[in-house]
Amino acid sequence: MVPLENYLVLSAIMFSLGVYGVLTRRNAVLILMSVELMLNAVSLNFVAFASYLDPSKIIGAVFAVFVITVAAAEVGLALAIIIRLYRNRSTANVDEVATLKW
Amino acid sequence: MRDYTIFIPEFIAAGSALGIIAVDLIWPRVRKDLLAYLCAVAAIAWAVASVFYIGKTPNSFQGLIQVDDFTTYFRLMAAGIVFCIALISPNYIRGRIDAAAEYYALLLLGCCGLVFMAAARELITAYISFELISFSLYILVGFLRRDIRSNEASLKFILLGAFASAIFLYGISFIYGATGSTYYDSISKAIDANGSNTAIVVGLMLILVGIGFKLAVVPFQMWAPDAYEGAPLPITAFIATASEVAGFGLFLRLFSSAFHTGAHEWAWAVAILSAITMTLGNLVAIQQTNIKRLVAYSSIGQVGYMLVVIAAIGYGDAHAGAGASAGLLIHITGYIISTLLLFAALIAYYNRTGHDTIRGMRGMAETQPFLALIITVALFSYAGLPFFAGFTTKLLMFQSATSNGLLWLIALGVVNSAISIYYYMMIVREMYLFDPDENVKRFSINPLLAGLAGVLLLAVLFIGIYPGPVLHGASKASTPLFQAGADATSNVTAQMLPK
Repeated sequence: MVPLENYLVLSAIMFSLGVYGVLTRRNAVLILMSVELMLNAVSLNFVAFASYLDPSKIIGAVFAVFVITVAAAEVGLALAIIIRLYRNRSTANVDEVATLKW
Repeated sequence: MRDYTIFIPEFIAAGSALGIIAVDLIWPRVRKDLLAYLCAVAAIAWAVASVFYIGKTPNSFQGLIQVDDFTTYFRLMAAGIVFCIALISPNYIRGRIDAAAEYYALLLLGCCGLVFMAAARELITAYISFELISFSLYILVGFLRRDIRSNEASLKFILLGAFASAIFLYGISFIYGATGSTYYDSISKAIDANGSNTAIVVGLMLILVGIGFKLAVVPFQMWAPDAYEGAPLPITAFIATASEVAGFGLFLRLFSSAFHTGAHEWAWAVAILSAITMTLGNLVAIQQTNIKRLVAYSSIGQVGYMLVVIAAIGYGDAHAGAGASAGLLIHITGYIISTLLLFAALIAYYNRTGHDTIRGMRGMAETQPFLALIITVALFSYAGLPFFAGFTTKLLMFQSATSNGLLWLIALGVVNSAISIYYYMMIVREMYLFDPDENVKRFSINPLLAGLAGVLLLAVLFIGIYPGPVLHGASKASTPLFQAGADATSNVTAQMLPK
């Protein structure tokens, strides 16, 4: 059996890559994909914990299903907003969209 | 035993939301104002249905959602917010927003999420509720389809929001891994029994980031000014009230029950966040020229004051915690009433003049004495001047939070209140000491808006002078927080505990 640490390290790497992507990407769609990567890391964490803690209790697996479902809804919503912005501004780059400043 | 009757108020709210959309679909030519009144009536029904739960023994749905006085308090606040926002919206919406039915439906659905965030006693439920209100806000912020600022605000909001909720979830996964449960009671017991470890500390910090984002706590506040400015005006009021109430509902419930046993791990972090949030919020507010952005930073400052209470809960025992929570609840109540009052006046002014800058309010005392008076009262209440709600509630809140080690934080809060008086007075100065621009004409205010503003004005004065009844309600509401869950809950969770 693969030790739990391996899963946690893998998910930590995925999560960090996601954070890196969110912070460095300029295109809104790519930022969204990076967020998806972070959410996948979360799901992996949940499933790994669920099977190691007590395989008969499935809260972790259930949580992973919820995370996937909500993530799908989130992507749908975000893409709609990006399309709206693209129609008005013909760009989906977040650094070119900067009318609002402090 | 599945007891669906505890959800009757939310069934009414969510059912009305669908009903409003259905009415609009069936009669596309229906006057959009009518939808606003439907929404307001639904809010009243929601509040009335919730009143029946006052003082009942706490009841829970499978240990997932608990209905007790705390939940009831949040239901009443949510219904109040929806009621006011529904009544200040119709004039603004006319000619600006076509999809009015969805707008009102989302207000109601978002507030259902708010209530469940405060009522949840289990992390999956809390997360779904968190996303319910967040999604509603993402859509509502971008509701001005052709306005570039609105598009941009909602894009920034959803990208940062998705980022924050991923961090929040990652934190939850560690808490789940370390304690073996997602039920607040079991988490609390597990931390009590095994002590804390690195996984729990990491999880707690990540969860703090997630909730901190929702509340616009300072390192995670980037979305707030943009979302406030880009959103339609009534939605700015909605974010300023609902988002904050929801965040603190979750914060109080989660950190008083699940994580209170591990309080020494997070109390210091909350105290530091509180200090930088109130300081930065108030300092940046000084240089704002747009009234919406000013309100955004001022509400960030207010969140800073409120976080003092969360820190006090962490440092105190359960008894002190209940007192402090009551202080927080009453301050939130005063804050949302002041905010709604301010926005009722701002919207009435914006509808006719199109001004949302501070410069544009010049000479309002001459052209619109009533609106100028309302804005002044709301700002005085924000600043915490005596006789207005903000003073009394802030006093009660800081008083209840006074505990060892936090006096420095409360002193900082008082200093910050003094700073905030400066920029609130700048607006009052603009309204009273300058002549109006020549092209600004006198106009009559919509009677509905004026009436609503009058009622809220009385409420601000009432809480400011005689806070007794509200304080009584707030103390009742905060008692169940620190008691172990209802019997039904502990039975269910006993079965769910890892063997």
